[in-house]
Amino acid sequence: MKKLFAKFLNLPLRAKFILSFLAVICFGGVLTLTLGTRLEHKTIIDLAQAKVRHDLAAAWMVYNEKLNDIRDIILLNSSHESIQKAIKTNEKEILERYLGRVKEEFNLDVLTLTDARGNVILRTARPEIRGDNQSKDAMVTLALKGETVAGTQIIPSQELLKEGKELAQRAYLEIIATPKAAPRAEDHEKNGMMLKAASPLLDENGTILGVLYGGILLNKNYEIVDRVKEIVYKGEKYKGREIGTATIFQHDLRISTNVKNANGERAIGTRVSKEVNQAVLKEGEPWIHRAFVVNDWYIAAYEPIKAIDGKTIGILYVGMLEKPYIDLRNKVMLTFTGMAILSVILLLIFLFFITSTIINPLKGMVFATNKIAQGDLNHKMETYFRDEVGQLAHSFNQMTENLKKANEKLIQWGKTLEKRVEERTKELREMQDYLIQSEKLASMGKMAAGIAHEINNPLTSILINTHLLLEKMEKSRAFHENLELIADETSRCTNIVRGLLEFSRQSPPQKTYSNINDIINRTLELLENQASFQNIRITRKLNQNLPQIMIDKDKIKQVFWNLMLNASEAMPDSGTLTIISQFSSDKKYIEIEFIDTGAGIPKESTSKLFDPFFTTKSGGTGLGLAVSYGIVEQHKGKIEIKSEPGKGSVFTVSLPVSG
Amino acid sequence: MAEINKRKILVVDDEITVCKSICSAIESEEYEVDSALSGEEALKKEEEKSFDLVITDLMMPGISGLDLLESLKAKSPDVIVIMVTGYPTIKTAVQSVKIGAFDYIPKPFTPAELRSLVSRAFKKIESEERAEKEPRPPKMPSGLYYMIGHTWLRKDEKGFATIGVVFDFLKPVGIITHIELPHASDNITQGEECAKIIDAEKYTHRIWSPGTGRVIEVNEKLKRDFTLLRKEPYHDGWLFKVEPTNLEEDIKGLVVSE
Repeated sequence: MKKLFAKFLNLPLRAKFILSFLAVICFGGVLTLTLGTRLEHKTIIDLAQAKVRHDLAAAWMVYNEKLNDIRDIILLNSSHESIQKAIKTNEKEILERYLGRVKEEFNLDVLTLTDARGNVILRTARPEIRGDNQSKDAMVTLALKGETVAGTQIIPSQELLKEGKELAQRAYLEIIATPKAAPRAEDHEKNGMMLKAASPLLDENGTILGVLYGGILLNKNYEIVDRVKEIVYKGEKYKGREIGTATIFQHDLRISTNVKNANGERAIGTRVSKEVNQAVLKEGEPWIHRAFVVNDWYIAAYEPIKAIDGKTIGILYVGMLEKPYIDLRNKVMLTFTGMAILSVILLLIFLFFITSTIINPLKGMVFATNKIAQGDLNHKMETYFRDEVGQLAHSFNQMTENLKKANEKLIQWGKTLEKRVEERTKELREMQDYLIQSEKLASMGKMAAGIAHEINNPLTSILINTHLLLEKMEKSRAFHENLELIADETSRCTNIVRGLLEFSRQSPPQKTYSNINDIINRTLELLENQASFQNIRITRKLNQNLPQIMIDKDKIKQVFWNLMLNASEAMPDSGTLTIISQFSSDKKYIEIEFIDTGAGIPKESTSKLFDPFFTTKSGGTGLGLAVSYGIVEQHKGKIEIKSEPGKGSVFTVSLPVSG
Repeated sequence: MAEINKRKILVVDDEITVCKSICSAIESEEYEVDSALSGEEALKKEEEKSFDLVITDLMMPGISGLDLLESLKAKSPDVIVIMVTGYPTIKTAVQSVKIGAFDYIPKPFTPAELRSLVSRAFKKIESEERAEKEPRPPKMPSGLYYMIGHTWLRKDEKGFATIGVVFDFLKPVGIITHIELPHASDNITQGEECAKIIDAEKYTHRIWSPGTGRVIEVNEKLKRDFTLLRKEPYHDGWLFKVEPTNLEEDIKGLVVSE
């Protein structure tokens, strides 16, 4: 079961859908069909049974009418004056003639006259047999007491034989073995069953002169049953078979019937089923049900036929062939089932389309996912409807779109990666150069301090002694010049040491929030009076929106001073100094550019420009730019130079906006 | 001049070459020069005979120049002490002036520079011995920052500083024949040379700056009339103006006039 369920779960979505729907439909269908047919069957059968009950009533009417007819005949003839007279006068011929005519007229099987003691006077059917006493007969007994009675009576075979040879012959029946019937020992029936009436003949004083009785033998007499069929079923046939049937049973034996056996003959001699036997014969109750009659199913109604003493002696039966009803039921059931199947088919078709609307987009999605998994980001999913799946597809497309964009970016990035690496390498190299420069300066500072201290003592000795020698030597003497040279060079050494110390004595910056433009302006104010600035035009392009930044005002001023002084010295005759303050492109720095129109700096010199003691000027110490560099570095900034020999130079100081 | 009147000078330096060189630089008939190679030796020699002038190196192992200065001044307050210093210890040299040194001289120096200083020192002693009184010695205005016996500095409201020479320095110098001033835009540093005065005897007196900064203006008037320096040392005789870069720090090495 579990395995089966797992198998089900692995089925394609559509199969799952359809199977689920089918299961529900089938369950519902079968349930409805079963309940429906049950209900329908019951209704039809109930209807049929009600009808059959009515039919039985009609049958009784026919039966009793016949009985009444006989009673009336007997009663009328018994009170006939001529008969009474004939008995009185014992005129046998008149009686014989008259009663014989009555028997013929009314088609009676028996018409017999007895005297007041019950001895037979005349038997119209067999005049030769007479004198036998009939006072033991139940009806005759009552008639002898003055009553007129009518009823159904079993006539023993010897009595039948007396009444008429052909009557005994008619009554004789070979019992045909009938399935479902109760077992019976005899293989034939000799007794007969008769509709009979008896009436006393009375004289004018009311003295009983005799009894007249007569009747018809029901055995093999088909008048009643055919009449019932005629009246009730009007001879309707179903597929060549009579729908309606009626039977008179003598005890459980069919003696008069229009039920046909397999050969198309009336099925007399067969017997009623055990069930009916029990209910009707033994318990005296009516029995209305479907019953297997002879060789077919009937909807049947049985009721007991009772003798005048109330004993059940036979059964009156009416039955409708069940087949039309069954066929009707089957037809309805078939229609019902057909409709159900049709509905299922229609539903399946409907389902197929409905599931298509769900499954096709999903299939599309699966396809699209595979495509994307294979790297095709251009594949777009069709959005069929605006339901959840549609929304999903939309989202999916969006995702793909984003993925595609990201991918393109990645590709683009990959393409520019090389360029970026190059740029970054360049930046790194610059940074490295910068670090080397810084390191160079720092170690230079330390070394300078050490050297200065150590070198001072020997320099002092040299300087003093050289001067002493000079003082003692006459000017004209040889070596005087050499000594002067020594003295001068020692002084130069002194200056170098002093410069070194100055450079090494850079104190940490004292930072305050300051305005760069103010510093530029103040530096310019001080410089404008300088001789080297007299022939120089100064242009200021200062961005007034620059924020105040944390710097050591004095040190930065020193830097600007150095740069502007350098610029002015680069333009000894005339020129323009342009000073620009602005944000860097990323807004993280403030850039101050000093642009001169001087001689420019040869390329080989630019890299050494910030080295201590590097100078191109005859009187320079070579420390101005190195010190400036150190100061800017202390501010986490940069000094850069761009120069074109013959056109001029641009010094750019970048200071960070924050910190 | 008689032997007895010779000025006694003690030169103290831990390096024998330097010590000898300094000795020979100032050796003359006028002076009796002695030398010591450590602070301890100097103090011992001082016990034996008192010196008029002690020239001592600032950086010495054992008793340092400053320790020696304090010991000497404690024993004989009249002794003149000149500190010899290297640039790295110039701040200490400025401090030494504050605690009693007559002056200092940074290494390396020429014999002439040292002699000028020595001469000025002795002239100062002489004038004090003679108890010479200037007819009207110019009085130092209050609120000036000065290096004792040397230079002064006056802050102005713009944040600039005017620098001049204290009269005590000028008094022994006598007649001034030349003044050498810095140029505008020159950088000057506290304790280092910023100007020179040459007197009638051709002595060149180096003037140590009381402050650090950039020269923004030079007293052109003074260039034309050197006498202003002696006449109006605290007013028209000023030397130059600077835009100080580290005034707070500079002031720590100076004394405020009352």
